[in-house]
Amino acid sequence: MEIVGQTLTLLALLGGTFFSVVGVLGYLRLPDVYTRLHATGKVGVFGVVLLLVAAIFWTPLSPGLGLLFMALLLLAGPVTGHALSSAAYRIGLRPQGKRDDLARRLEKMNNR
Amino acid sequence: MDQIIANVLNLALLVHLLLLGIVVWRVWRGENVIDRLAGADLVATLTMAILILLALVRQDSLYVEVALGLAALGFVGILALARYLADEQMF
Repeated sequence: MEIVGQTLTLLALLGGTFFSVVGVLGYLRLPDVYTRLHATGKVGVFGVVLLLVAAIFWTPLSPGLGLLFMALLLLAGPVTGHALSSAAYRIGLRPQGKRDDLARRLEKMNNR
Repeated sequence: MDQIIANVLNLALLVHLLLLGIVVWRVWRGENVIDRLAGADLVATLTMAILILLALVRQDSLYVEVALGLAALGFVGILALARYLADEQMF
């Protein structure tokens, strides 16, 4: 039974580190603010949560506290990303590419 | 098996510290203000990851509680700053 916990710890550690590296690479390399926000969300939602899974299996951490922390991260990540991208659009940064659905919607709301 | 996990823990801690340095450098030369704010959020998240890895290395769950407080405060701070940047007022 010990080997199951050890294997899960090892897999969760490697997976969490992988998602952190991928998120930071996306933050460095992607072209505009919205795609970068898409990449940084991965670090909080996948990287830290997988490290927490490892901590629940490998340290004397109570599982309730770990689950509370996971719930907070899973709620806070999307809300933070939405707030930042909404602020970016209202400041005047536009996404790359031709299609901009929010512009048409805002125009319709302003004409009404 | 314990030795393998200890080695992987040290490697993951080193990788996260490197990533933290890279992101701080990128925030320093950011393109615009939302980019920098997203980078600051990423710095807070990576600090949480480093604290959880320290809890794993030192076998002490107190570090996870410190990370929980950092997560709650950072969430409220990022929301307030995003609203301030978008509306030029906080309340």
